[in-house]
Amino acid sequence: MTVRAASALLLVSGLSACSGPQSVLDPAGRDAQVLASLFWVMFTGAVILWLAMNGIFLTVTRFIKREMSERKAETLIIGGGIVFPTVVLAGLLTYALAEMPRQRERGEGLTVRVVGESWWWRVEYLPDGSSEPVVSANEIRLPAGSRSEIELAANGVIHAFWIPALGGKTDMIPGRTTRMSLEPVTPGTYRGQCTEFCGESHAMMAFGAVVMEPESFDAWLRKEAAPADPPESPEAIRGREVFVTEGCGACHTIRGTQAQGRVGPDLTHLGGRTTLAAGILPMETDELVRWIRDPESIKPGARMPGYDHLDDARLRALATYLEGLT
Amino acid sequence: MLWNRNRTLWPMIAAPIVWAVHFCLTYWLGASSCAHLGSATPARIGIAIVTAIALGLIVFLGWRAWLRWDYRSDQDYVHDGPTTEDRRNFLGHAGWLLAMVSAIGVIFVALPAVFIRSCI
Ligand code: HEC
Ligand SMILES: [Cu+2]
Repeated sequence: MTVRAASALLLVSGLSACSGPQSVLDPAGRDAQVLASLFWVMFTGAVILWLAMNGIFLTVTRFIKREMSERKAETLIIGGGIVFPTVVLAGLLTYALAEMPRQRERGEGLTVRVVGESWWWRVEYLPDGSSEPVVSANEIRLPAGSRSEIELAANGVIHAFWIPALGGKTDMIPGRTTRMSLEPVTPGTYRGQCTEFCGESHAMMAFGAVVMEPESFDAWLRKEAAPADPPESPEAIRGREVFVTEGCGACHTIRGTQAQGRVGPDLTHLGGRTTLAAGILPMETDELVRWIRDPESIKPGARMPGYDHLDDARLRALATYLEGLT
Repeated sequence: MLWNRNRTLWPMIAAPIVWAVHFCLTYWLGASSCAHLGSATPARIGIAIVTAIALGLIVFLGWRAWLRWDYRSDQDYVHDGPTTEDRRNFLGHAGWLLAMVSAIGVIFVALPAVFIRSCI
């Protein structure tokens, strides 16, 4: 590949990272919008400074080579090297600090509690005034147009919570509760990612982030709070039997059934999620089969045993049952 | 002589020391005010006070350094001779510049307390 082709490719792949469901430069929340404009202001400033510095350097070494008067040189060094950067830095610092209180404001209405596990997310929704949380996992849904409170904790090791399209990130620390708030603006499906190294599958600890209109969010939350619908098709009914006989309920909860385990993610409405296994697989029958057969091959160190002793028919029935839990 | 006025480094680094102490106090005030009192107001008042004291000290130290540099009398900022005067001027010159940096540092460290009014 020629150098030109290579740099064009680099540029294009670089630019393509500027949009999409997990980009700070493609904001869908108020905080992220502010952070993106902060970035552009700083970036533009840096480009201008870079050009000016190199312009001066070039001018005095190439074009105006005659000796400068001491006064002039002094003014240039003190003015350009001390006063100017101090003023610019003070301005940028003030501009950034002035935004901080708003970014950390308390949410109103909904509180979402998120616990970082190895390598998935325990999620609980507490609508205003309720004390009984709605338990879910591996996906965050938020209503657009209001600021929601996010409470963060961690089990065992440190993690960090970040939805780049919606706002900044916050550490999740074992033994402590940290907090943040998010004010999504544009409904859509985004992506969050653990951003603090937490072990071998840290890179595979992501989640779907869905912003909804307030009314559809309320409807969704009511449905999420309800127990699982019983399976209807014969295959799904067979799948439920496999789920029971294989003892999946020791680790997983499916509300409305005997399965009450709390070791792994809540599966009550698994099929309604946008992704499988903490943001790394599409929610499809084939992927479910692959995951249940051998989670380790997809996520190194996954704390779920593989079920490769089950034949294809049974795995498929299991997947059909789980996918039907919308 | 152990403590030679024209050789000791202390006057030169006094302002950065004030800056460092101010930095520690600011963090301590923020953390303890939020953890024990649950309010940022005591921290903000405390930070205002320690900042005023720190800036006062730095101005005083900077003024002393400026006098030792003795720029007004000879407009000299090259002091590389092995003489007592050059040593004295050099330490004053460096101390004056460090005082300026320290003042900027103290202001930047205190700035968040101007904007952030709550513990969250
Ligand atoms: C020892 C406890 C344990 C058992 C037994 C177990 N799992 Fe899991 N399961 C987990 C853990 C832990 C995770 C999260 C793994 C990760 O993402 O790192 C998980 C994740 C999953 C997921 C993905 C959930 C999501 O939110 O995307 C599915 C589906 C699943 N398990 C199905 C099953 C089925 C079906 C069985 C029985 C055949 C089973 N599990 C048995 C612990 C268990
Ligand atoms: Cu993590």
